[in-house]
Order: sequence, then C-alpha cells, then structure tokens
Amino acid sequence: MSSTELLPDETAEPGRSWFAEAIAGFSAILPPLALTAGTLAAWEAAIRLFKIPTFVLPAPSAIVAALIENRVALAVATQATAVEILFGFVLAALVGIAVALVIVRFERFGRALYPLIVLFQTVPKVALAPIFILWFGYDLAPKISLIVVIAFFPVAIDMLAGLQSVEPSFVALMRSVGASRTEILRRVRIPHSLPHLMAGLKVAITFSVIGAIVGEFAGASAGLGYVIQFASTQLETPLVFAALVVVSVVGLVFYYLVEFAERVLVPWAPKFDAMHRS
Amino acid sequence: MMIASSAAAYMTDPAPAAVPLAAPAPIHIAATSLGVDFQLHGRRQRVLHDINLSVPKGSFVSLIGPSGCGKSTLLKVMAGLIAPSTGEVSVAGIAPQEAARRRMIGLVFQDATLLPWKNAVENAAFLLMTGNTSIKRDEAMERAAAMLRLVGLDGANDKMPSQLSGGMRQRVAIARALALDPQVLLMDEPFGALDAITREEMSRSLLEIWESTGKTIVLVTHSIDEAVFLSREVHVMGTGPARIIETLPIALPHPRNEESFSDPAFTRAEARLRGLLIESHRTKGHGR
Repeated sequence: MSSTELLPDETAEPGRSWFAEAIAGFSAILPPLALTAGTLAAWEAAIRLFKIPTFVLPAPSAIVAALIENRVALAVATQATAVEILFGFVLAALVGIAVALVIVRFERFGRALYPLIVLFQTVPKVALAPIFILWFGYDLAPKISLIVVIAFFPVAIDMLAGLQSVEPSFVALMRSVGASRTEILRRVRIPHSLPHLMAGLKVAITFSVIGAIVGEFAGASAGLGYVIQFASTQLETPLVFAALVVVSVVGLVFYYLVEFAERVLVPWAPKFDAMHRS
Repeated sequence: MMIASSAAAYMTDPAPAAVPLAAPAPIHIAATSLGVDFQLHGRRQRVLHDINLSVPKGSFVSLIGPSGCGKSTLLKVMAGLIAPSTGEVSVAGIAPQEAARRRMIGLVFQDATLLPWKNAVENAAFLLMTGNTSIKRDEAMERAAAMLRLVGLDGANDKMPSQLSGGMRQRVAIARALALDPQVLLMDEPFGALDAITREEMSRSLLEIWESTGKTIVLVTHSIDEAVFLSREVHVMGTGPARIIETLPIALPHPRNEESFSDPAFTRAEARLRGLLIESHRTKGHGR
C-alpha cells in the first residue's frame, strides 16, 4: 500500500522558535490580563471617588492589605480547608466510580439504584449540613460527608455515560471471541469511560470546594469558610474578600491538578477548549 | 500450538496459495430453513425467513440486497451473535457460538471500531489477547505485526487510530480479525464508509489477502461492483419477508485485477445483479 495514506503527525509543530512561541503565548494571555487590570483600577477609583465605606465594599488595595496582614491565619485556614477538599474529593470520586460500576455490572440492581440516586440528587445537599454536624460533630467528618454527597453525583453520571457509550459493534466484536461481561467491562468499558470520568472529576472538584466552605459555614472552628463567616460578623469585609480570593486560588489549583492528571492519564481524550471549538 | 503454526505457514510464505479451484470444496458454513424473529415493541417480527445457504470452504461469498433485507442479521447469526429462532446453522460443522468460542470466526464491521488508547499493533493484537491466557503478549504482538504487514500496513505499528486514515483504520480492523487465524472471515460492509478510490484499493487488497490465506469469506455489501469483483458466488436477498431470492455464481476468471472490470463476464453478472436488485426493490414496496 502506498505510504501517502499516512497522515502527517499533527503533534509536531512546524519549525517555530521558542521566541515566536513566547510571543504567541504572551499575546494569548494579554487580553484577559488587561481586562482584569482595567476592572481592578476602575473598582479602586470608584471606591475612592464615591467614598464607599470599607465594610460595604473594600477597595482592591484594602483587600491586598488584609491578605498580607492576615497571611498566617489565612495560611492555617487554607490548610484546614484544603485537607477537607482533598479527602472529600477523593472519597466522592471513589463513591461515584463505585456507583457507576455497580450499575453497569449488576444490571438489575442498577435499574433499582439509578432512580434513587437521581432522586437523592434533587435533595438540596446544603440543607444536609446541619444534620451532618448533628451526627458527626464539628471535625473533619461532617465536611467530608457533605463534600461526598455533593460531589459524587457528577462522577457517577459521567462515568456511567462513559461505560455505556461503548460502540455496540465493539461489544459484538468482544462477544465474537467469547469474552465475558466482566472482561468487556475491564478491557473496554472502563478504559473507554476514563475521559468521561475525568470530565466528571473536574466538575466534582469545584463542587468539593463549595462543599467544604458550606460545611464550615454550618459549624467549624477552622478553615476559610470559618474565616469568612467570622470576619463578616466582625464587619471585617476586607478579610472576607481576602479569604474569598484565597478560596478561588485554592479551587483553581485543585482544578488544574485534576486537569493535569487528565493529560497524563488519558492523553487520547478529546481536548476541550471553550474558546476554540471547531 | 495449531493456530500459531498455521498462521506462521502463511506468514513465512508470501507466495499466493493456490486460488480455490472449481473442484467441489467441503461445505464450511451451512444454513437450513433458518429463520430469525425479533421481539419489537412486544410484537414478533420475522427478520429472516427460510434461509438455505451453503458456503464452500475457502470460498468468497457476498450477500447483497436492499437495506432492511436482513443481510447483516444473517451475518450476525453466522457469527453466533444472534441465535436462530428456527432452523439450523453451522460453521465448520459446529454451532456458531461454539465456533466463536474456539476463535474460528473473524469479524469486520463498517466501522473499524479501534480502541483510541491503543496503537495499531496493540489494536490488531487486542482480540487475540482477549480471554486467551495461553498466548504471551510478545507472541500476540508479533502475530499482530505480521498481520499488519499482510494487510499492507508496514511501518504503522506505533500509529494511534487518530493518526490513521479511514482506509488504514479498516486495514487494522482486518488485521485484528486475521490475527485470530479464524476459519471464516465475516465482513459487514467493511468498505461502506470509505471513498470510492480507497474502496477499490481495499477490494484489491482483500482479494490478495483471500488468495494468500485461503480463508472462507462472507461479505455483506451494498455495492454491485464490489460483490462481482470479489465473489465466487453472490446471494441476492430480498425483503417482505427477508429471504434469499437468488444465488448467482460469478464466472469471472482469476486472477482478478483492473481488467476484470471490462471482462464480458463482469458486465453480464453486474447487469443480472442489478436486475435482481431492482426487482427486489419493487417487491419491497408491495411486500408488506
């Protein structure tokens, strides 16, 4: 056969220098950076111009000052919250994966379980926080429980979609060599579901951050949620905003860790780029 | 191991084996008064009706007919994926499901269905390694690589499916089926999704593969050209109810090549097939 049918390797960049690449990268992040800087400047100017009291809306400079001033307390709180997120997320992922596998492997039981899980999903999980405090006290356990009930659902649903979206002809192919259900699950369905699972994990990690903060609102003696609540009762609004900035950064870091894991674990997954969808 | 040794036999001997001669070969696939019913919305529907068919060992046979005539269903019955409701079917003298379990059946679909996380050679070795603990990974890979060479994919072992063209993906799918060293190769519109030029190229490749391996091949196709060019025998299927309306031997001499298309035998067979298909299409409208 002719080798002309070979497609060009798309991963290879046609001779671009690192300098050109740096310029290209810089021009890509320039617009959002400029917009952010502009917004912050306008915010700062508006606060000064209209003399808005700090306890209502602090200026960016006041937030930065609060960040620096409370850096030790914020670091301690960040650590507490990060631990909750990490444990909660891992457990939520495991529960979600287990639910999806059980539904697919044990079809009849799955048909009974699936509607219950969907029904459970309609319960506002935030409302469960006080109950978990009641059951598990003020420590790590109630926060982790809350994260699990909030974050397992997207994992389970996405993994399930992945397990079930294997092409029927591939299943037929496996059956044509006498493969068992378990073997089809292990060698085809599970690897096939991994890109879907990673998409679910990305949703779950952001849910986990929400779960941790809400869990701390309901009752805690540490953590960024606790700092936010405590500072707001003291009308220390700059500290509230400083803690919010830290929460966002924590969420961002966790999100990109999951995305990094996706690139390493499932390099064949279709790349999602919100700005350049073909 | 039997399979390995017979695979090695045609791997090491690239010279085309003798093209099956006109002498009567033993029957390899047989169906007698075969019927298949599907349960659709609580209603029984007859999908195949009274199919009688025999495919000689080492032959190349096509099933052709309008969509909905049950040709894919018939192929799935031969593959042991669908159990017949009435009648009997056998592959190499045993039930298709048993034949499948013994890895005597290679399947190729219209869609190559390669695993995107495995490269070409891993994909070609995949079914061979499925549920087979007797074969070592290296051995399976080696055999898969040999099959990729056989189907004309040298040097593409490490390519991922996303880096392969449609035609090349389908070649990998054929190599995957051949790697099992099956007795029969069942193909369901394997070139249906390819462009015309690639299609013809693949047809010629398939003919070469058939000639060099001597497999029994059953091909489901929509294309009259393809059926005539490749087959020794074409079963024309019709609808209402789905059945075989005529079996047409193709008297086109071997070896077949580009010139075969202008052979009077080709033109005759093509015209006859076209006539039968038009007729079956007409009855389709009145049939139900």
